[in-house]
Amino acid sequence: MAAFGSFALLIALALAAYNLLAGALALRLIATGQPTAISPERLADTARRAGIAGFWAVTAAAFALVWSVFTNDFSITYILEHSNRALPAAYKFSALWSGQEGSLLLWAWLLAAYGFVLRLTHKQDVKLYAYAGAILAGIQFFFLLVLNFAAPPFALLKGAIPEDGNGLNPLLQYPEMVIHPPMLYLGYVGFSVPFAFALGALMMRYPGEKWIRITRVWTMVTWLFLTCGVFLGMHWAYAVLGWGGYWSWDPVEIASLMPWLTGTAFLHSVMMQEKKGMMKSWNIWLIFSTFLLTVLGTMLTRGGLVSSVHAFAESPIGYWFMVFMVIVLAVCIFTYILQYSHLKSERPIESLVSRESAFLFNNLVLIAACFVILWGALFPVLSEYFVGNKVTFDAAWYNRIAVPIGLFLLCLAGVGPLLPWRSTSFRSIRRNFVLPVIALWVTVGVCLLAGMRPWHDGAFDAGRFYALVAFALSAGVLTAIGSEFLRGMLVIAKQSGRNLIWAKYQLIRRNTRRYGGYIVHVGVVVVVIGLAGAAFNRSTESEMALHDKLVIGPYTLECAGFTQDANANYDSEYALLDVSRNGKKLFQMTPEKRVYLASQQPQTMVAIHSTVTGWDLYVVYEGVNPDTGQPIIKAFLNPLVNWIWLGVLLMAFGTLIALIPKKWSVNSGQ
Amino acid sequence: MAQTLGFIAGFLLLVALLAYTFWPENVFASQKEKTRLDYLLERKEQLNENLRDLNFEFRAGKYPVEDYQAQQAQLDSESSQLSAEIELLQQV
Repeated sequence: MAAFGSFALLIALALAAYNLLAGALALRLIATGQPTAISPERLADTARRAGIAGFWAVTAAAFALVWSVFTNDFSITYILEHSNRALPAAYKFSALWSGQEGSLLLWAWLLAAYGFVLRLTHKQDVKLYAYAGAILAGIQFFFLLVLNFAAPPFALLKGAIPEDGNGLNPLLQYPEMVIHPPMLYLGYVGFSVPFAFALGALMMRYPGEKWIRITRVWTMVTWLFLTCGVFLGMHWAYAVLGWGGYWSWDPVEIASLMPWLTGTAFLHSVMMQEKKGMMKSWNIWLIFSTFLLTVLGTMLTRGGLVSSVHAFAESPIGYWFMVFMVIVLAVCIFTYILQYSHLKSERPIESLVSRESAFLFNNLVLIAACFVILWGALFPVLSEYFVGNKVTFDAAWYNRIAVPIGLFLLCLAGVGPLLPWRSTSFRSIRRNFVLPVIALWVTVGVCLLAGMRPWHDGAFDAGRFYALVAFALSAGVLTAIGSEFLRGMLVIAKQSGRNLIWAKYQLIRRNTRRYGGYIVHVGVVVVVIGLAGAAFNRSTESEMALHDKLVIGPYTLECAGFTQDANANYDSEYALLDVSRNGKKLFQMTPEKRVYLASQQPQTMVAIHSTVTGWDLYVVYEGVNPDTGQPIIKAFLNPLVNWIWLGVLLMAFGTLIALIPKKWSVNSGQ
Repeated sequence: MAQTLGFIAGFLLLVALLAYTFWPENVFASQKEKTRLDYLLERKEQLNENLRDLNFEFRAGKYPVEDYQAQQAQLDSESSQLSAEIELLQQV
């Protein structure tokens, strides 16, 4: 299978090269009208078919790797290093992307799959799709070059073949790790498509903004995957790493956040270009930056430039990505300068208090956040290079900047929908903002009365202050969005004479993009409420012998015993903890410590008891005190964490609604 | 033996994919240039959508009358200019 896989990758590389060269040549011949022996359109069609054929070649290579891992072919170095015989089937599958070479193959396969769909649907706009297809071929060519020459997944082991493999990293042997990387990659790779369309539209001086409409579905689906990928990573960090948190500003986490920030900015400001013909240059550079950030992110994780629990081993392929980024950036700059006159805005922003301005502020804040975070991620590299001393920023540094920025964005999420296009009067502002502002201040009052004060033990507490601001702003934003829904529902209900529930369905159906977007904003609010709960986290740690007790918040944990278990994959030790409240036993928790036999690596398995509206009781079996021989239990009480996951589900739901084609209802009176 | 079989399978894959790529085909989509008329019709469609949004938001009480009338006048003026040029091009 190794030979077949390697051959398939070589075929894919040749097809990508043909796709790129023939596609570019055909476009050039059509543009210049040069007479040729072969019809340029026939040449363009063979280029398109080469792209489709390339998908099948990469699929064959991916199949070969899947086959090899499931047949325990330890003659292949990659399989030896990332799998073993006893590994459960689901984790054998995820071994495919746990390592450098396999994850690059996954990237190449997803890119080929996106290109496959694009090339099958090319009749929507043949010329634009031809440009986009050629650009995608160029990106695919790079990844296949890396796979064939720098990081071959089918490299064979030299010498005797061991009986069993080294096994999968224990950190990855968790259900979420089966879907987190593919989701994240679907997002990363997916941004190649809107990038290809944007660059192609610029190269051909595409008349009008219809290319945005064509690209919109791709962009939204990609953004959805990236959002789910980021939050699945957060949930994995929370459930597996055992430190009680979900985001530590790890460089690899940052690498996934940066394109998400610029991608979010693009999704918003592109509406202005579509509706008003504004911000054309800005949008082009947003999507260029988003794509470049996905490449930068993967370079950071693969090139060994930064230290991270997520990073792959240091490897020279970082230089390959650096060269690729420079080439892409050069092409983008050259095309932009050449076609600059095509990007003039059709009208300026007329007022600082308008929906256009809200979009612009939203973009500026998202870009500022991205830039600051990027600076923080790269500073250790730059400081080591220029000063010889590696200086890193801790989570507190990032939080000091990210939290106020996040709150300002939350505010815009409520302000933007209420502002009209072009300009507004004071009367209009008063009419639209009075209820959200009332809701905001009522929430402040209620929180203060409930004891949620921005000071703790007599000192100002920034975390609690920001939490209070977050709750207040959330109330304001939810009221703003609620008023948007209610106003629309009342109009439709009045015209049709039907009830509000029917009116709500018609309202959403009439403009799925807008109201789906509002549902996404509601999801964001719910996430922010969940994040704000971190200001009230508690933790405690203690040695626990049999029948010892540990108190945290309203819960009492009593050690009922310890037990052990073993299977072919790992040995484990459990602590049995009875949890009671007010003297009444509620449930039992079993935090676990495992040792994976193939790799001899330890791994904690956190026990979490969640309630939707209340607290997460989070318990970690830290191991045994070497001096006393007593087990150590660490317990956390984390409020509102479930709101984060609930919020993401809402964001996903809202995006799916927004993807449905809208229908102007006859009954709306339009 | 396994390696030889792998190469044979790879070669067969290569032949199949090359056959698909270069198969003689008489019918394929042509790259049509977008005309000025196509562009104007798209703009008109977007303007109509903007007008629909404006009317709906006014009925939902988001705009005072003066703001609504000013914006409507602007959009109507743009729409009229587009319609005039579209009519001219369609007559040609």
